[in-house]
Amino acid sequence: MNKILLIIQREYLTRVRKKTFIIGTVLFPLLYLGLIFGTGYIAEKNQPDLHIGLIDYSGLFTQERINKVNLGDSLNKINLISTDIEQFKLHYAENGFNGYLEIPATIDWKGKLDSFNMNSNKTYGIGAKVPIENKLNRIWTDIKNDSLGIDDAKKEILSSQINLKILNVNNQSANAGIATVIGYVCGFLMYFILLLYGSQVMMGVTEEKTSRIAEVVVSSVKPFQLMLGKIIGIAMVALTQFMLWIAFIFIVYNVGKNTGHAGGNMTAMVGQIQSVFTSVNVPLVLGTFIFYLLGGFFFYSSLYAAIGSAINEDMREAQSLSFPITMLVIFSIALMTPAISNPGSPLAVWASIVPFSSPIVMMARIPFGVPTTVPWWQLGLSMALLIAGFICTTWFAAKIYKTGILMYGKKPSWKEMIKWAFRK
Amino acid sequence: MNILELQNLKKYFATQKAVDDISLQIPKGSIFGLLGPNGAGKTTLIRMITGIFYPDAGQILLNGKKFDPENDVRNIGYMPEERGLYKKMKIGEQALYLAQLKGLSRTEAMKKIQDWFVRFDMQSWWNKKVEDLSKGMGQKLQFVITVLHEPELIILDEPFSGLDPVNANLIKDEIYRLAQNGTTIIFSTHRMEQVEEICNQIVLVNKGKKILDGTVESVKQDFKENLFSIQLEEIPTTIVNPFFELVGTHKNELIVKINQGHKANDVISHFINQGSSIISFKEILPSLNDIFIKLVEGTPSARQFQKVED
Repeated sequence: MNKILLIIQREYLTRVRKKTFIIGTVLFPLLYLGLIFGTGYIAEKNQPDLHIGLIDYSGLFTQERINKVNLGDSLNKINLISTDIEQFKLHYAENGFNGYLEIPATIDWKGKLDSFNMNSNKTYGIGAKVPIENKLNRIWTDIKNDSLGIDDAKKEILSSQINLKILNVNNQSANAGIATVIGYVCGFLMYFILLLYGSQVMMGVTEEKTSRIAEVVVSSVKPFQLMLGKIIGIAMVALTQFMLWIAFIFIVYNVGKNTGHAGGNMTAMVGQIQSVFTSVNVPLVLGTFIFYLLGGFFFYSSLYAAIGSAINEDMREAQSLSFPITMLVIFSIALMTPAISNPGSPLAVWASIVPFSSPIVMMARIPFGVPTTVPWWQLGLSMALLIAGFICTTWFAAKIYKTGILMYGKKPSWKEMIKWAFRK
Repeated sequence: MNILELQNLKKYFATQKAVDDISLQIPKGSIFGLLGPNGAGKTTLIRMITGIFYPDAGQILLNGKKFDPENDVRNIGYMPEERGLYKKMKIGEQALYLAQLKGLSRTEAMKKIQDWFVRFDMQSWWNKKVEDLSKGMGQKLQFVITVLHEPELIILDEPFSGLDPVNANLIKDEIYRLAQNGTTIIFSTHRMEQVEEICNQIVLVNKGKKILDGTVESVKQDFKENLFSIQLEEIPTTIVNPFFELVGTHKNELIVKINQGHKANDVISHFINQGSSIISFKEILPSLNDIFIKLVEGTPSARQFQKVED
């Protein structure tokens, strides 16, 4: 037992002390934030802003009405052109306009409207058209309201709408939108951790085999101890990284809450985290995430360890042998999407119970609420099966590992490896 | 007192009878040579002694008691033929880790590592990584790691390969010193001149079976061919006699094979009677190399796969 601890310690410390671990841990959230803020900033910078000249022959589009909408939104300014019309049509671009449109005298506020042409010397996307369209429609609504004699009080009455919100009667605070986001985040995080750290186990085992240290070590400890020590050590590394990220989120939340006025994105993010706290059972999600992270990791990484023990220096062997295992992880992610859009469907239920896909699919369902969406029996069964599953894969992998780690030369096939596993 | 006793040990693989009924005894404090051509089953035998493999049949007794890999690894040091260390790990930490895996406490391990590093002049290596070492340096480190926990039984698989004569001597001296202090050393190699120099006792395995067992001296005696070398001042023109047959001449040296029923004295008196003056007379014993080749000859150089039926 003491020897397993030594192995775990070595595996853990050599990895955590590596620069790549520190860089990865710090960089991942920074990249993530950079992505959110960066895209937000770019989107803001690129908001369409067209300057339009409006030539009105109908007399409905008055300066007063245009001023009113321009006041509401300073972008996409509309100017009423009433003098030197022919001159303007020729030289609008030089005067700082992006285009112009003409409202014919025949326009009828009661009738149907054909589309208008906005004349421009460039091609603009749909995104550029919409704000102008909205502004013109606001003016048009004003014109119609005034013609119908609808005053502000009546407008208020007309503007009311029905909004639909799905409320889970068993769980008043549930919020499907946030649960979907958290579900995706949990599922993808699980997917990345399983694949990344699983392949670390595989490469670690191969390294021990090809550098022939394995033979030295297994003359001191049992191969099973070496394998288990490695898997647990790397699991601890993954857990450490995850905990650091969680700590990071809490720090951002608290700092954001205390400084408050920091403005824009910061307050928005604090608000988002706040709404996550109120609508999702955070301790439950965190607790089950850690359980499924470890369970799923043991399940997959022991298989990766078995493959690592079977291959030699050639990394291509690793790819072809680990393909079936990697496919299982990718398949789980494929099951996750329908499971999130309908977390109560039979597919979602069974995919979250079967051990190979349960770490990803169950983590995608849990944010929707336990026990409302995921009954306790499902969670319990899924957890029990995952434990049974990883005990099986570890047993199976240990048999292959024991033979493979001291076997050099030809790459074994899956068939041969299974034969190793079932040999006495 | 035998430190290690193997009784009818067997280990069969799918296509090989790797070890097929081998028994042997190794006395405490001896330097024991385990010889055999490539693929004879030496490594499998060693892996069973180190607890890496379980034998299919037979028994291993360590100090007269049944071998228990779990606890007895503390008493065994094994240096595999293919050296293995973590390339990216610092040398000091690595030695400490491997010593602790053998069951030493941290402080105990630390003290012993420092002693050995001083003895082998390796103090400056502590914070270096294995990938910074030359092959020979790595070899020295591997040796230190093998003997660090002061095992009773040390198994060295080709310990001198890749070492320059100075470092080879350094390790050879350590092997003698350890043997003098009562450590038993199993030395696996196919370099016969080293075996002749170092080992007291040898076992030769081939195709999974033991084909020779004894002290170096007795083995040589067993395989001698009654060959003698006689150096004369002047070689007589005709040599005809009933005592021996001439096998070869080299300058003024005759190689003779004494016939059955005759003794060395007969040969000497023959030359004295002839009036030749003798400069030297000595028995030619076969080298282990000759014996090895003689015994193993005829075995295909690569071991063939065979069907194993239990």
